Amino acid sequence: MSQTHVGPARRSNTSTPGWVKMFGIIALVLVLLFVILLLADPGRHGPGRHTQSGDPGRHTSPIEHGVQQP
Amino acid sequence: MTMTPSLRKFVLTAHVASSVGWLGAVVAYLALAVAALTIQDAQTVRAAWIAMELTGWFVIVPLSLASLLIGLVQSLSTPWGLFRHYWVLVKFLLTVFATIILLLHMPTVSYFAGIAAETNSANLGGLGGELLHAGGGLLVLLVTTTLSVYKPPGMTPYGRRKQDEQRTMS
Repeated sequence: MSQTHVGPARRSNTSTPGWVKMFGIIALVLVLLFVILLLADPGRHGPGRHTQSGDPGRHTSPIEHGVQQP
Repeated sequence: MTMTPSLRKFVLTAHVASSVGWLGAVVAYLALAVAALTIQDAQTVRAAWIAMELTGWFVIVPLSLASLLIGLVQSLSTPWGLFRHYWVLVKFLLTVFATIILLLHMPTVSYFAGIAAETNSANLGGLGGELLHAGGGLLVLLVTTTLSVYKPPGMTPYGRRKQDEQRTMS
């Protein structure tokens, strides 16, 4: 959602802004967390879960309806 | 690549509409998942899976692709650029990430929706994953919206180099 004009002259700073560093740290923590979860339970997530052959229903608990379809 | 001011306004409007529409559709999707989890009635769960699949493929996916592509065109045709300002770059990376996760996840939604449509049983297990994916997606979209509004300062090394080149030429 960028605007059509660049705003007033911004502060000239040659170092990486603090908010970018913070975003980088958060992204790194999330990636590490995801890898740890993946290693702890390999079948729980990953590309295989996103395909029908990956047995996505492995963790499901079915609610059975009273009437069966013909 | 440059655009006339009126064309820029039009593209900006299209980008805001698709981005905000994407955010709203994810909120609606999240409401369906929460309703199915809390009510836990077989009919509701089945209806929720079918509605989530339709919302996903026919609303969320088109809006995400529109938002990404229009944003890309817009950034490359305005002084902001795509790689010059950190906020534009971070927003672009987050949008690409969210779109990839969405496209990877939608076949799973279709799988559960297919079960719900063809049988009289409904799966509750996959709904936890829906909360996680939709909740994460909503968080990412809120961050990109905030970046768009606040435009936090900071130029990339590439942006600074380009700026210096322009100053030298003028």
